[in-house]
Amino acid sequence: MAEYINRNKRHLTWALYALAGIALALFVGDQLAGLRAARIVQTLISGLLVGGVYGLVALGIVVINKASGVFNFAHGWMMVVGGMIFWSFFSVNEISIIGAGLLAAATMFMIMTTLSSRNLRERRNLLITAGGAVALTALMTAGGGEWRWLHALTGTFAGAILTGLAVERFTIRPLIGQPLFTAVLMTLAVAEVLHGVTQIAWGTVELSLPIFVDPATGSRFRPIRLDSLREALDGLAIIRVELVIAFVLALIAFFGFILFFRYTSVGLAMRATSEDQQLAQSVGLRVRVILAITWAVAAFLASIAGVLQGGAVGLSLNISFVALRVFPAVLLGGLESISGALVGGIIIGIVEQFGTLLNASEQVGTNLAPYVVLMLVLVIRPDGLFGEKRIERI
Amino acid sequence: MKKLCVMLALLFVIAGALPGLAQDMLPYPSQLTECEVDLTGETLNVFHFGDLSGPYAFITQPVVSALTDGVAYWNSRGGVCGAELAQIYEDTGGSREAAQSAYDRFTSTYGDELDLLVLYSSDDGELLREQLAEDEIVSFISAGSIESLYGEDGQTPGWLYASNPLYINQFGFFCQFVAASPEIFPDPVIGFVTWPNAFGRSGTEPAAREYCAGLGVDVLAEPQFFLPTDTDILTQVQNAIDGGANIIYTNTLATGPALIAGTLVDLGLEEEIKLAGVNWVMDTTVGLLGQRVLKPNGLPAVDGMFGSMPFLWWTELSSPAVQFVYQQFTLNQRGPTEQNIAYLLTWGVLDSIIETYIRTINRVGSLDAVTGADIRETVDSMDYAILGGLMHHRFEEGMRDGTMNRMAVMKYANADMSGFATGPADALLVDGPSGKMFVPIVHALTDFMPVPQLRGQ
Repeated sequence: MAEYINRNKRHLTWALYALAGIALALFVGDQLAGLRAARIVQTLISGLLVGGVYGLVALGIVVINKASGVFNFAHGWMMVVGGMIFWSFFSVNEISIIGAGLLAAATMFMIMTTLSSRNLRERRNLLITAGGAVALTALMTAGGGEWRWLHALTGTFAGAILTGLAVERFTIRPLIGQPLFTAVLMTLAVAEVLHGVTQIAWGTVELSLPIFVDPATGSRFRPIRLDSLREALDGLAIIRVELVIAFVLALIAFFGFILFFRYTSVGLAMRATSEDQQLAQSVGLRVRVILAITWAVAAFLASIAGVLQGGAVGLSLNISFVALRVFPAVLLGGLESISGALVGGIIIGIVEQFGTLLNASEQVGTNLAPYVVLMLVLVIRPDGLFGEKRIERI
Repeated sequence: MKKLCVMLALLFVIAGALPGLAQDMLPYPSQLTECEVDLTGETLNVFHFGDLSGPYAFITQPVVSALTDGVAYWNSRGGVCGAELAQIYEDTGGSREAAQSAYDRFTSTYGDELDLLVLYSSDDGELLREQLAEDEIVSFISAGSIESLYGEDGQTPGWLYASNPLYINQFGFFCQFVAASPEIFPDPVIGFVTWPNAFGRSGTEPAAREYCAGLGVDVLAEPQFFLPTDTDILTQVQNAIDGGANIIYTNTLATGPALIAGTLVDLGLEEEIKLAGVNWVMDTTVGLLGQRVLKPNGLPAVDGMFGSMPFLWWTELSSPAVQFVYQQFTLNQRGPTEQNIAYLLTWGVLDSIIETYIRTINRVGSLDAVTGADIRETVDSMDYAILGGLMHHRFEEGMRDGTMNRMAVMKYANADMSGFATGPADALLVDGPSGKMFVPIVHALTDFMPVPQLRGQ
């Protein structure tokens, strides 16, 4: 018997997993069978839309990982900073020209000195820096309150680029060539620094960010009510418009990044850099610039996610915790996979919602179900659903 | 936002007697015990730590503001019995590890000087309950869980004292109110939709359910939990409604009640399903954040939400305590988001700390001689109207929490400030950072009455 088990260990393990999966499916199926169709459809819609937001957050983490191999624990706080910057521009009618000018100048300075501070010795580069700063300042301050969307978007863009470049320049760049683990630990330190900076700059009181507001009513967009399906579903299902917007933005970002990584020289260079930084440098790729772009892009993605999350529930330091909830989605989809981030986010979103539907009182949806699914997937596909299989020669 | 503050002030002026508020400094409202010992040259530290940057930050930030204002107030008047007043605090970010670390640091750094500690949350109270007892340090907290105040058996009074009634008792009190108001709550069934921490779970105990059932109010056995980071809680709210709930009760704050109220509006159930909660749902932050979603009648989703109000509120300006705190709030140019429960209560906490120390020092002879056990002896025998009536400290016979409560409802002011708005047309609207804002007001529905004692049952 022992010999049989030993010989067929692998098959038996798989059989056990299959049995557990079937048992789980039967249990869930039985639970769902007692529910109205409206509840199941509603849960599916909520999971899909919430999952889209998770996917957007996961995308930022994946982009960094894809290019540098670093798992960014500061992503949640980059979301908070981005959201807060957006709020700072969105919530006032008149923007301080000095503040906006400083932000623009700092951003342009960081962009132009990405490769080397000597770049600024050239007259042409100096002119570009000054021109860029003036243009950004103008976009951030021109007009009155009716231009707040433009002010906020430009300010957030500049702030995100500045944050991403600063993080890369002062914390990640000095670690090039060092073990990856050191850089990962550095992101933990960056998270705490951003936490402190946010607290000092914006305080800890929750801020209202009414971006999903219907101008006609002054209220958040009314949800789409599926009244025509009420009879068929035996109840009402609704679709929240702000989550749809977030979901659509997430989809646009995904397809954009898939194309970016596949067809642009910068994207290809980022992929090459993630494979081996030293090798990439030896073939003429500017690793420092590529890493800087990566961090700026990730910070921008984090800012978008922060604004969307802040608009949906309010802007607070708690937003940073969303990134922690997204980690299973990142691992599920595969650490380097753009499409995996979206799929992972959606799966985790749906699993969370169904877990909550079946047992909200024990927090099955948030505390258990995503991790059980993650565990099952990792057993079958250790690199995640879309992760790259790595074969190392020993 | 400044205008909002001005309008709130205007509301208060119209609402009650506030003669010459801006001109004359109002007298301190408490009848503090006379100092028998001169403490000139000494420093009386107010120790506190808790979550200033995590999930509770919305309500705890004003704690620091109020203590800063209070310390400045006393020091500008020669201190307490001559002793300079100071505050020593740390932010734990809502982390238990950080709270433990702060406690260790406080006890090792300040040693015997640390006899009285102010805590903010039930979680910290539960974590430190045994350690406070062992180190003989008294702790004041605005509201605690059963375990933090009375231990796991609910019968063992510890070293923590809460000024508000236990959340479970507040819930029992709400059931009394529901049972006595069939015109508002016909065939009442309550479902919890709440946060999953110690604070959020308070009131979900079987004892509360049994008590309410005895009053004819059913409570669903399964609470529905959500996290402060959740963007969509349709599933939880619908679970409760499908379970039969026509009242949703919540132990959440800031975005929590606002999110539930918004979800009810999304489902078109804002009239059918009533929303109620613990005292923190009546906070200003909820009134402001709850404006993100408007009901079909154009008023904010949280309009009409019920909640406990075991202390006086900002609008009750006939009270010298509220007049005084309001004057200090104005003089220190605090912002509208700080005009909340925490700012009001913290002035009360400071008052009770000062009274406790004066009584204890009078008894033991000096500040240095004061021990935690002395403080405890004083608090145990205290029967004290905080700030002359903001709330009451009476911890006789092993009580560790407040015993009186009343119910209130959150409404929005109408334009001529004579009552409540019925819609945007007659509402008082002021300029806020993101457009026009309604002005929230809290209206008491009952007198102060004893809460039921549900712990340990």
